[in-house]
Amino acid sequence: MLEAVGAEGYALASVRSVLGRTGLYRQAFYDHFADKQDCYLQAYDHGVEQVETRVRAAAGDASSWRAGLRAGMGAMLDFIEAEPDVGRALLVEVHAAGPEALAKRDAAVRQLGTYLDQARDDGAAAAPAIASEAVAAGIHSVLHARLAAHEDDGFRRLLPEFMYIAVLPYYGAEAASAEMYGGAI
Amino acid sequence: MVRVAARKGYEATTVAEVAAAADISRQRFHELFADKEACFLAAYDAAVDILLVYVTNTFESADGSWPDRIVASLRAGIGFLAAEADIARMAVVEVSAVGEDARIRYRQALMRFAPLLDQGRAASPQGHDLPPGTASFAIGAVTSMIFDEIRAGRATELPRILPKLAYSVLMPYLGPEAAEAEMARIEV
Repeated sequence: MLEAVGAEGYALASVRSVLGRTGLYRQAFYDHFADKQDCYLQAYDHGVEQVETRVRAAAGDASSWRAGLRAGMGAMLDFIEAEPDVGRALLVEVHAAGPEALAKRDAAVRQLGTYLDQARDDGAAAAPAIASEAVAAGIHSVLHARLAAHEDDGFRRLLPEFMYIAVLPYYGAEAASAEMYGGAI
Repeated sequence: MVRVAARKGYEATTVAEVAAAADISRQRFHELFADKEACFLAAYDAAVDILLVYVTNTFESADGSWPDRIVASLRAGIGFLAAEADIARMAVVEVSAVGEDARIRYRQALMRFAPLLDQGRAASPQGHDLPPGTASFAIGAVTSMIFDEIRAGRATELPRILPKLAYSVLMPYLGPEAAEAEMARIEV
């Protein structure tokens, strides 16, 4: 489903094209899903869960927030690099899939913000409450812009800049520059 | 087109309604535009040009430091969107439902603000160390916050979020402390 939506766009992707890609029978599709939107919403949850699982696995045993963030964001960028159509279905086409889909998207972006704010438990300076919102929104829209324009490679190369912008409000410019230029991988 | 798309959403908008709202025949509509999308994009381009000129003029004519001029420009931009709620809805929210051409145009339009922001490199203690994509982060954060407000039906209340928009633009350039200090000076 997500591959079809990412490649064809939500509006154009049809149940038929999903059947074509999966080899599923029409009857089987409708046994599981009410319609295209229902299928997309379930696929969306599954896609987000997949990304989360990889991020958690990568960041799991990191010794600090910064190391965890680098590993986690790296895993997220690797995922998008490997599956740009899925990334596009999750980040871009969600806007065409109705209010329920948008509510899910809002929750996912908020979760990125909450994740960033864990820096506060890691001895970081007191950033204002909106710091995580600003960073999450900035990162999200850089990814969105690339996927929307079908610029489907080079995601991994964004990691140093993403680290810069995410570390900056919590640890200041010097630490952010070190993440970007000194970037211990 | 602006009014109809803002009220009904782009998906539900029909050529017949747009023609009726503009008091022209469907035939006349099709002499002017190939289809619904072409008409939307023409309206979109016009709206963006007005907004861009308005914000750029504010930036050029504002007194004071770079952060002061950025705050003045942001204030002007959201003031415009708050006063023109239909244009705001059409140009910020509905544009994302139109399709790929419209999304690319949206992004290109936004990046026209980048030169104003990148003048902040001279004001930044990091200067040339700033990431090349700094303006993209700042523009992305601001537009996504504005998008959320308009989508939630709060276009007229946009002026209230000026402080967090200012923080989102200034923080990547000036660092967290200076951005927070600037944010604290803002009168909403």
